[in-house]
Amino acid sequence: MTTTETRQPVLELRHVNLHYGSVEALHDVSFSAYAGEVIGLVGDNGAGKSSLIKTISGVNVPDSGEILVDGTRRHWRSPHDSMAAGIETLYQDSGLAPDLSIGSNVFLGREKRRRGLLGRLGFVDQTSMEHEALEHLARVGITIPETNRTVSELSGGQRQAVAIGRAIAWARHVIILDEPTNHLGARQSAEVLKVITSAREHGLCVLFISHTLPHVLEVTDRIIVLRLGRVVRDAPTKEFTVESLLGAITGLNE
Amino acid sequence: MSTSSERPESAVAGAPAPSRLRRVVTNQQFVLFLVLLALIVFFGIRNSLFFRTGEFSNLLTDFSGLVLIAIAETFVITAGGIDLAVGSTTAVTGVIVAGWIQPLVTHNVNQAVVLLVGTAAAIVIGGLAGGFSALLITVFDLVPFVATLVTYSVGAGLALVISHGAPVGYNPSAIYWSASGVGMVTWLVAIVLLVAIVLGVVLHLTVYGRYNFAIGSNEFAARAAGINVRRHLVSVYVLAGILAGLTGMFFYIRSGSGAATTGVTNSANLVAIAAVVIGGASLVGGVGRWAGTMLGAAVLTVVSDGLIFINVPPTWIQVVVGALIALAALLQSFRRRSRRMT
Repeated sequence: MTTTETRQPVLELRHVNLHYGSVEALHDVSFSAYAGEVIGLVGDNGAGKSSLIKTISGVNVPDSGEILVDGTRRHWRSPHDSMAAGIETLYQDSGLAPDLSIGSNVFLGREKRRRGLLGRLGFVDQTSMEHEALEHLARVGITIPETNRTVSELSGGQRQAVAIGRAIAWARHVIILDEPTNHLGARQSAEVLKVITSAREHGLCVLFISHTLPHVLEVTDRIIVLRLGRVVRDAPTKEFTVESLLGAITGLNE
Repeated sequence: MSTSSERPESAVAGAPAPSRLRRVVTNQQFVLFLVLLALIVFFGIRNSLFFRTGEFSNLLTDFSGLVLIAIAETFVITAGGIDLAVGSTTAVTGVIVAGWIQPLVTHNVNQAVVLLVGTAAAIVIGGLAGGFSALLITVFDLVPFVATLVTYSVGAGLALVISHGAPVGYNPSAIYWSASGVGMVTWLVAIVLLVAIVLGVVLHLTVYGRYNFAIGSNEFAARAAGINVRRHLVSVYVLAGILAGLTGMFFYIRSGSGAATTGVTNSANLVAIAAVVIGGASLVGGVGRWAGTMLGAAVLTVVSDGLIFINVPPTWIQVVVGALIALAALLQSFRRRSRRMT
């Protein structure tokens, strides 16, 4: 990762501050993230992980500081703006509409319309959405025989795979994964980690948030540790062990 | 699951789809269709007059008075809400429109012009009523149940105040036109059915309908996917208000006047919700079909009219409706369970 310093970061935060009323959620947070890099974002409960990803994904608007995507300063007011800039976020447990088909979920908010007049009247092209959803998912190693089944009929691991697959399919720069291995068995977690690796190969920058430190150490290139809304460590993953990472998170070793 | 298959477990869809036979048998629309046929045969056997075209024409007309607000509830309920206001919106629209267009009637203005002006007014009044509910829900953060209960009470009260409890206006030409048509389908019924079909297409084939289901299924996911949830919900309650307003116009045309009791004394809002539930929709949102609501409304219409036809006191109708709702709910829970078992 020594060459990254000369490249343009795909995502850069400069001195970001965020308050909820009188509570300081983020304090002077700065970091850079590069294409093809998996970054672990760790910290104790209340350390500011959720606040940080919500700020990057446009749910929160920072009080001060700058967010740059691909070198351009961005100012967004809603998740829509962040998505338009090429950032996809997978929120913990709640990324999919369970009563809709897999295809409809992959295309949620980006529905394909039929050609011509019908399309202008708002008619969706369900057949081609189901078809392309299969391709999108297959590209990141997720194969599902029928996409016209509803998400509620899938297991937890399958749902997570579809959710991540959707995020990767649409992300142009950054994909944020909030606890993607939560509630998953060992085997399903391994699959999710494999999909993360495949996102890196597609040249995306992955922000991986997790409490499961072995997963973080296994899959990331770099780890950013948050404590009380501040970045306290930002170092290559190879410099950490489970013990030293735990120490950085809790601050007990200092 | 420790087979050495090449495909990892999370990468393939797990359980095979339920067998086709089971899916058909537990399909709510299919069952409802059978129930509808059985009811028609039952009433026909009990009283052969039931099969006269005159009665079918009555059935279609009564169905038309219910179907628009039932579809309105389908949009609202699948989006995760509820609208208790449609009944009184029907009443208040009827009395206001009847009062407004009465001068045109007494000055012998062309009847088509009178009814078109009335319909336009009904759309505006109904839309405003729906907009009031939407305002309470999206700006003042009231839950839909409470917000639409407010609109319901205000509407029912206003209808009484405006009408002084008596029918408003008198338009015999409208009643005369309401009976004209081709065969057993009157023009009035044909127009209502056309609107109903357009709404079914919107619900199931367009982006608007897709957003509706997505919001009802998981509002957070819809918002995270960039859907403007607030704007959509406002439009849904306005649409429901407009459809209730059109239903008010429908009853004005049928009776030639507006009455504060229309849609209120018969709890039309609850009948409409019943049609949606019988049709297989989930009250928590995300699940529901236009065809189910159409069948639910048809079953309720046939039961209400048929029971009167075989001399069952009308007071019993509500008991039967209750039993139908219970049956539909049981069918749903059976379906959920059979899906989980697969």
